Amino acid sequence: MLRKKSALTLLTVTTVTAALLAGCGNSNNAENANAGAANNSKANNAAADNAAADNAAANASGNAAPANTTADPVEFSFYFTGSENVKNLWDTLIPMFEKDHANIKVKEVYIPSGTGAQPTYDRILAAKKAGKGSGDIDLYEDGLNNVTQGQKDDLWETLDPAKIANLASIDANTMKDVSNLAVPYRSSAVILAYNSEKVQTPPKTLDELFAWIKANPEKFAYNDPSTGGAGSSFVTTTLYKTLPEDALHNTDPSIEKQWDTGFNTLKDLGKYVYGKGIYPKKNQGTLDLLISGEVDMIPAWSDMALEQIGNGQLPATTKLAQITPGFTGGPTYLMVPKLSEKKDAVNEFLNFVLSPEAQSVVVTAMHGFPGIKLSNMPQDIQDSFKGVAEGFRTFNIGDLGDDINKRWQSDVAAQ
Amino acid sequence: MTKQVKMGILGLLLVIPSFLLLFVTVVIPIAVSFKESLVNKDGGYDLSNYKYLFTDKLMRQNIVFSLEVTVISVVIVLIISYALAAYMRFNKGKLVAWIRNMYMIPIFIPSVIATYGLIQLLGNHGWLSRWVLLLGGGEIPRIIFDMKGIIIANLWFNIPFTTMLLGSALAGVPDSVMESAKDVGAGKLRLFTRFILPLTYKTLLVAVTFVFMGVIGSFTAPFLLGPNAPQMLGVSMEQIFGVFQEKEQASALAFFTFLLCSVMGYFYIRSMVKEEGARS
Repeated sequence: MLRKKSALTLLTVTTVTAALLAGCGNSNNAENANAGAANNSKANNAAADNAAADNAAANASGNAAPANTTADPVEFSFYFTGSENVKNLWDTLIPMFEKDHANIKVKEVYIPSGTGAQPTYDRILAAKKAGKGSGDIDLYEDGLNNVTQGQKDDLWETLDPAKIANLASIDANTMKDVSNLAVPYRSSAVILAYNSEKVQTPPKTLDELFAWIKANPEKFAYNDPSTGGAGSSFVTTTLYKTLPEDALHNTDPSIEKQWDTGFNTLKDLGKYVYGKGIYPKKNQGTLDLLISGEVDMIPAWSDMALEQIGNGQLPATTKLAQITPGFTGGPTYLMVPKLSEKKDAVNEFLNFVLSPEAQSVVVTAMHGFPGIKLSNMPQDIQDSFKGVAEGFRTFNIGDLGDDINKRWQSDVAAQ
Repeated sequence: MTKQVKMGILGLLLVIPSFLLLFVTVVIPIAVSFKESLVNKDGGYDLSNYKYLFTDKLMRQNIVFSLEVTVISVVIVLIISYALAAYMRFNKGKLVAWIRNMYMIPIFIPSVIATYGLIQLLGNHGWLSRWVLLLGGGEIPRIIFDMKGIIIANLWFNIPFTTMLLGSALAGVPDSVMESAKDVGAGKLRLFTRFILPLTYKTLLVAVTFVFMGVIGSFTAPFLLGPNAPQMLGVSMEQIFGVFQEKEQASALAFFTFLLCSVMGYFYIRSMVKEEGARS
């Protein structure tokens, strides 16, 4: 009896051990593969070339055969991240696209903001390093830092206006900022959201805003810039206040010396902001303070503020105002992984997203700014942007954003 | 082979699976992050990341702040939990039954929700200040967004489990011991210091270890309720890793946190081994 039992135990033990060892071996292999891939970028390039060749072949055949020899529809997966409103936008746009393109299906993968954006990027990178293509991710939406990060890791496909005709409707400078690696399909602006019961005349310039903050201690809050774009925009706008306009497109670290004045202003403002130096976490953190009435004015994303006024989260007395020159805003980008095998379908989708029809949905449903030039939009939408779009500024300062956050953390938060 | 050798081999074989599991899930990750923490900016190996941890003013503040929060939390949690558990052990009645039914509730509330609840409750225009206003009080001082906020959250998260742990230890104190001590004239204080405390000392140590490790690595509450600077180590680690993308520095910080925890673990294990040795 005992022997039987111990034999059984032994068997279990060996099985478990073997399984664990196998797991070990696998991870080692993967690591070796990683190291190999990292060391030998030539192999990567070769793989990319292969993929490109495959793609070209697919292209050729696609062109040769008439488009309506519909076998199975091509399905590509589209990973995106953001707040609920972003999901709603794609839930509207994708059926519109699929209706006109029966041969393409879009597999929507929504990653709620803050839970998985970084892992998605890491997945694409890991798949590339392991030689597994694009990890089944054919289109990816995220902010500027992922575009620049991917540029360094050589992840994104350079977009070709010959394949995506509507790329021509985007401002050429915006495309230049991202080296044609990503489509800025919508933009949001950072604006001031304020309680109109308490604030009769909102500030019109940054200097007036500073004066207002000092005159109304603890009634202004901006969020920790490393946790959300609204606070980040307030900080960037302050730092670049006295700098020439083209500094906003300068990625050269030598410009950092010129931030000193801005950081001193922010340090000085610390005593006057909410809680004498409390910077809430995330964009929603400051909006919550505005909702509870603890502060009267905050920088916020226009689309978030408009949506929350619309559904009654923010009190109806909340109003929005832009200062001149405006807070830096930023587009959200769509990126195509270089190793994706379904680039033709993706290109067609991107072309649709940049059409005035789809862009109108961005404007009306998202309260966003269109990604394409306003002159390409329907007349009524052009009219609705009169006076608002002028103050809109985008920027591309590459990795400097991280340095701003780091320095803000030690200079302003920890003063 | 004698029976003893056979049994010895069998014993070793039985230990191997758990050892391997520990090796794969704990030892290897720690070794990997230790190796990564030694990588410097130029790709070579040195101690620059650790030097940064202890020379950078902000990082030093973070470490001191985390230890402060942890020590204060541990002390308060233990005092309250011990008092609660002792009260439930040595008293009877409606109140005890009521506490016994209620004190576990916080365990069932997810930490994120509890944290937002605390913000709603303690915020400047939160429930608490509204009640105070209604009852004729003035503005209450700010409780959250600084060290106090994190400590309050830690109390909420840690008291139930610690009370449960200590409660079971106190339940193990035999009534006969207490009664005979009382019979020979031991006062309440002496009863506590000579009998109750020594009999529950080991569990107390377990509780200290659990609370210490839970608090020092916590993230949700310090992130949402804490100040922007200094930060707790968990928040700082996330920022260095996720926002600044400095993997090596984050590894160094993680390894340092591990060392802090293993110091606690060492005392815990040492006392366990001592106890076992004394018994056989």
